[in-house]
Amino acid sequence: MKIFITGATGYIGHQLALKLANQGNVVHIIVRDQSSPNIPVHNNIIVFPGDITYLSSIKKAMAGCEQVYHTAAIVKLFSKDPSLFYKVNVDGTRNLLGAAVDAGVKKFVYTSTCGVLGASVKMPKSEKDPRTESFDNEYEFTKFLAENLVKDYVHKGLFTVIVSPSKVYGPGIETHPVSVNWAINNFIKGKLTIIPKPSNILSNYCFIDDIVNGHILAMQHGLGGDKYILGGENLSYEDFFHQLRLLSGSKARIIPAPRFIVHIWALAQWCKYLITKEEPFVTIKGIHHIFINKIYSNEKAKQKLGYRPTPLQEALKQTIQFLKQKNYA
Amino acid sequence: MLDNLYTLITGASEGFGKSLALECASRKMNLILVALPGPELYYLADFIKRNYLVDAIAIEKDLTCEENCIAVYQFVQSMNLRVNMLINNAGLGGTMLFSEGSISFYQKQIKLNIVATTLFTHLFLDMLKSNGPSHILNVGSLSSYFYLNKKQVYGATKSFIYSFSKSLRRELKNDGISVSVICPGSMNTNISVTCLLKTSSRISRLSIMNPEEVAPIAISGLLKSREVIIPGRLNKLFLFINKLLPDFIKTMILSNQMKNIRSVTAIETNQKSILLTEKQKSLIAS
Repeated sequence: MKIFITGATGYIGHQLALKLANQGNVVHIIVRDQSSPNIPVHNNIIVFPGDITYLSSIKKAMAGCEQVYHTAAIVKLFSKDPSLFYKVNVDGTRNLLGAAVDAGVKKFVYTSTCGVLGASVKMPKSEKDPRTESFDNEYEFTKFLAENLVKDYVHKGLFTVIVSPSKVYGPGIETHPVSVNWAINNFIKGKLTIIPKPSNILSNYCFIDDIVNGHILAMQHGLGGDKYILGGENLSYEDFFHQLRLLSGSKARIIPAPRFIVHIWALAQWCKYLITKEEPFVTIKGIHHIFINKIYSNEKAKQKLGYRPTPLQEALKQTIQFLKQKNYA
Repeated sequence: MLDNLYTLITGASEGFGKSLALECASRKMNLILVALPGPELYYLADFIKRNYLVDAIAIEKDLTCEENCIAVYQFVQSMNLRVNMLINNAGLGGTMLFSEGSISFYQKQIKLNIVATTLFTHLFLDMLKSNGPSHILNVGSLSSYFYLNKKQVYGATKSFIYSFSKSLRRELKNDGISVSVICPGSMNTNISVTCLLKTSSRISRLSIMNPEEVAPIAISGLLKSREVIIPGRLNKLFLFINKLLPDFIKTMILSNQMKNIRSVTAIETNQKSILLTEKQKSLIAS
């Protein structure tokens, strides 16, 4: 089968493209920078130069494809140019949906984020739960707008499904300065690890292999216009690093940092940005995100898609092994 | 759930109404949530029941229709629910030149903002008296103090809410019912409003509050039986300056502020954004 994937130079898209190519599918990917080291290499993967913000380039790459996975997005908390979020995450998605209708694509899976669902209160959040707080960053807001577009296209005759990963970790390419993988690597290298205080704040962590499988399962079994959380286990920062310590034997020190310390760090990042124009990965507006519970339920994906997440310890073991090999390489 | 007293909130499915519902739930108040038909209301009620361990009953009705207001009351009565707090929040906003709006839109605005509030207050009056001490919170607007371009009908409906509340407060004082009115400034209440507010000037952008910031102020003001609740320091400052400045200067400043704001009808709390055209959506996105 011919399958079209956007964002194949990103963390999820890269692994997804390789998996689908390994299964014997012909995978069309669209790539902005032909010299990017993150392009997945495989005999079944055909690289098309292009950009999701240019409709003509999408049409060429999508021709003859039955399925579309749209994983491409601007993923960061802050950008010098906020209109970029709208251009790529919203307009880019609109381009792809339109092109998919024209190309006669059978199914379209859109990669969103649990961030659209927002913070949890007491129980893990499910797909239907309302967002309780306003959007405070362009990333989550534009992913929300794009989700609405994707749902709307069901009424325009396109079979669309939304998947929402939480915090993803595991073997793959490094595309962000502060990822879960980065934190794990730091810790197993024995470096000082700073976690938010109180350290019992809960988050949801999911394994990259499960996310890739979840995408494929959503393509196979997802209902049109429906949304599925692809999550892993809910646990506190403290427990997460405790598990890592047990599995890796790391002796790294963990220091819980109260909010005001992180605030100062964010402030320092901002000053650095003003001087060097290097985009900060923590902003003052964004720091509360690490001080609130964000737990999610993957029940719906388990029941409706047959999603079977890898047990936490097994997933962490594989991640540690991968990172250690990479460190020695 | 210590008692079987309930707080009724209209326009509760999104925006400020949703934040008010969540705030009340976090204060362990049982809720009756009224909003336009749609699944979101049930999702919210279900979410509240699971996360805050209070009761939450969803009633889907379009309150621009008088019969529906009466039906809500009859439903509450038939279920033997005792309401001791009434929050008239459902409202229809809009920013447009008078000539740009249709008469049917203005009628809808008046029906929801004025008629539904009056009717609900009247219908629940006896129940509130018998369940005292009770509270009524009406949602006005800062625009009832400022006479803004493009907000003629909306501003006037909110001025009605303001006078109605203050007058009623004096009348019901001895019946154990405290009437409060909250006058918020701009809030990020739904997608169209959020996008619209991104286009407004810097000083007005600074005064914009999130509904989840305003809701705690509203509820604690209500519980303290405040007559008029103005959320936000900047909004309070605006009002203070408003009292000091002579009329001609105010007119100059305000018409200048409103010039930058595109005409859009945005639906304030209760209703879906039906009026955003595809063109406006792409404008917002750009």
